[in-house]
Amino acid sequence: MSELLSMKGITIEFPGVKALDNVDFSLNAGEIHSLLGENGAGKSTLIKCLTGVNHMDEGKIYLEGKEIRPSSPMEAIETGISTVFQEVNLCPNLSVAENIFVGRQPMKHRQINWREINQRAEELMSRFHLDIDVTRPLSYYSTAIQQMTSIARAVDIQAKVLILDEPTSSLDENEVQLLFSVMRELKANGMGIIFITHFLDQIYAVSDRMTILRNGHLVGTYGINELSKVELVTKMVGKDMDVIFNLKRADVKPDSRITLQANHIGDSSHIKDISLTLKEGELLGFAGLLGSGRTETAEMLFGASRIVQGEIILDGTKLNLTKPFDAIKAKIAFCPEDRKRDGIIGDLSIRENIMLAVQSRKGFMKPMTRQEQTDLANKYIALLGIATPDCEKKAGELSGGNQQKVILARWMAAEPEVLILDEPTRGIDIGAKAEIQRLMLEMCGSGVSVIFISSELDEIIRCSNRIVIMRDREKVAEIDGSSCTQQDILKIIAEGAA
Amino acid sequence: MKVSRLMQSKVTWAVIAEALILIVCFIIRPDFFSISYQPSTGMLYGSLIDIVNRSAEITIISMGMTLVIALGGTDLSVGALVAVAGAISLKFLRWDVLTYNTPGDYTVYPYVLVIFVPLIVCALMGLFNGFLVAKGGMQPIIATLILMVCGRGVAQILTDGKQFTTGYSPFRVIGQGSFMYLPMPIIITIIVVVAVALFTRKTAFGAFVESVGVNPSASRLSGIKADTVILIVFMITGLLSGIAGLIYSSRIMSNDSNNAGLNFEMDAILAVVIGGTNMAGGKFSLAGTVVGSLIIRTIVTFVYYFGIVSEATMAFKALIIAVVIVLQSEPVREYFAKRARKKEGVSHA
Repeated sequence: MSELLSMKGITIEFPGVKALDNVDFSLNAGEIHSLLGENGAGKSTLIKCLTGVNHMDEGKIYLEGKEIRPSSPMEAIETGISTVFQEVNLCPNLSVAENIFVGRQPMKHRQINWREINQRAEELMSRFHLDIDVTRPLSYYSTAIQQMTSIARAVDIQAKVLILDEPTSSLDENEVQLLFSVMRELKANGMGIIFITHFLDQIYAVSDRMTILRNGHLVGTYGINELSKVELVTKMVGKDMDVIFNLKRADVKPDSRITLQANHIGDSSHIKDISLTLKEGELLGFAGLLGSGRTETAEMLFGASRIVQGEIILDGTKLNLTKPFDAIKAKIAFCPEDRKRDGIIGDLSIRENIMLAVQSRKGFMKPMTRQEQTDLANKYIALLGIATPDCEKKAGELSGGNQQKVILARWMAAEPEVLILDEPTRGIDIGAKAEIQRLMLEMCGSGVSVIFISSELDEIIRCSNRIVIMRDREKVAEIDGSSCTQQDILKIIAEGAA
Repeated sequence: MKVSRLMQSKVTWAVIAEALILIVCFIIRPDFFSISYQPSTGMLYGSLIDIVNRSAEITIISMGMTLVIALGGTDLSVGALVAVAGAISLKFLRWDVLTYNTPGDYTVYPYVLVIFVPLIVCALMGLFNGFLVAKGGMQPIIATLILMVCGRGVAQILTDGKQFTTGYSPFRVIGQGSFMYLPMPIIITIIVVVAVALFTRKTAFGAFVESVGVNPSASRLSGIKADTVILIVFMITGLLSGIAGLIYSSRIMSNDSNNAGLNFEMDAILAVVIGGTNMAGGKFSLAGTVVGSLIIRTIVTFVYYFGIVSEATMAFKALIIAVVIVLQSEPVREYFAKRARKKEGVSHA
């Protein structure tokens, strides 16, 4: 195999920090190469340097033996380096076909040749075994198809290097498999693919080699069979994994009092009949596929969507939840799934993000003083180990894991009785993941009842006392967390009731 | 670090721009800065006083506009509300025009009504805007377009399309009176600015506005009643437009449904933008807005003062504002911040 891309001695300095220090990276034609590291390790910076977003202070980049110095994303694309980002950067209101050809529409008689656009788009998508109507707006399709569109665009402009930055974080299992088959096909055609993901299984499933970064330094490049998962994680995190995974399930006594109870609740759209109970200090896991009704149930319990039937009882009193404010008043907290859209308020400081729920419960006429806010923020920055120079930094500038901790801090500060966490560990690195799990269990230890929603079964099993399994917007089973295996849960998800 | 942070702040640039314009004024006419006391009116006179005085309406309105823009919206109806306020107050001053056919030092209805009914109506009209936005889910620019268009019509209907004048002296005080040697509009402006600043910064209201402006969905899920915030902000803006309307009609002692508050919405938006509040919503700066409003008025005064043909006023205004906004743009601020950083680096070494 020939070397397609090579980056030598890349160094990038930001004011005060070396984001990358003398990092080498190489990519062969027809290779899928995983780039690994915790948040802040320098993966994104390396990619941004390759795509011309960041400018390197030292180092050289060679593409097919020729030195390149991309100075803008446009230029990078012209030299043959295309990127598919985690958040799809296409125009949702344009059609799939338009998105593929935008900016370089084929012309005929000085007019855009729509027929050719649509035809070629269809051919491209069918190469990925996708039989879809390419004239429909992109927003009509799932994230997976949107990503395929992004990839199709890269294929059509004959990119030599394709960068996939966390493409799988919002895909379900089938969609991931589809993406992988497309990746393998592109690889067979000689494209070099750089694959960034937090899912270790996926790395082993699809890549040929992997390069690990830590704190801006190169740890090493390894063949896929050279490292076991544990070795890999140890290299990424830089400490022994046993410590991190040595979590203990919450200790719930059989006679603990019931805090939250939902009887046959349903919303106006899909969820018909969900019942569950939650004990003091208990961690209840919600397992099930995307769209199985996990999030909708959580939203009902939080008043974010209104229940049309059934009742929610907290500490023996029936709650009438019409808006999130009511739930917060009743000491229920909710970390939503989509951190960017529903969680973090990016332009505001960490301090303001943390004090928000406490303040909103008080109402704006009873403000906390600046000092109180700062003290509160600093307390949780220290408690959760949020990596920031001070509490006035914009929350949007933090890494994903730290943003999640800020949101967690917002709710911990509100001292809830019931805490609902919807995919709190998605898209964050292993170290931060383990820490969030630890925090969650500590909250249980202090008497908070936690509902934990996750797509990753291993973390559900590791943490939960009981597990509710959802399927097709129904609760199909409730099992004991300490005595079940992933296979048990998968079987129930696949086949229905236990 | 401090210098570079200052150089990155948009407010700094607004202040620099204002200073530059004033320096140019000073170079051309050294007496531009002179302020004299006129015993006959008990007021101070001078170009600077005049600038602050004449900027009162825009400064007051733009306090509300700052909050609306921080929410990510705009309020186009403020100019029309100025006309409405004027029409209502003049209607109370001279209800029956046939009987009271000469303007004089009298009011037909109690003075309390002359002042408060326009303010209440404007506040309600603001609330109507807020209702369309919060409950109707309309885009603010569209929702407020309704009152922008029909507000002047309402004013016309209220006054039968006539222009009333009055000579009632307590009414004259609002726009032409003085207090502590300063023209009354300046006093009113100071009160309004301080009141809005206290309300937004001494309560958590400002933080809630910013939060809703940045991310409405996350704000709602954090327990903020976004609808209430929106309603209050639009109501405040309506009320402030009413205050500006009273000042405006007191200056001319008349109502003018066609021209009162004309283009005020544009000037108010400009003042906010020059003051460094992002049109996309989020962090806002009331101090910046005050400076922005002063810049706009300084330019206009500049044009009058130096005898530039009045037809060129608009073009001239546009030119200077364009320069200010370019100076505040991201690349330019970045450039200067970088230079400042470099210089600091050298001085440390």
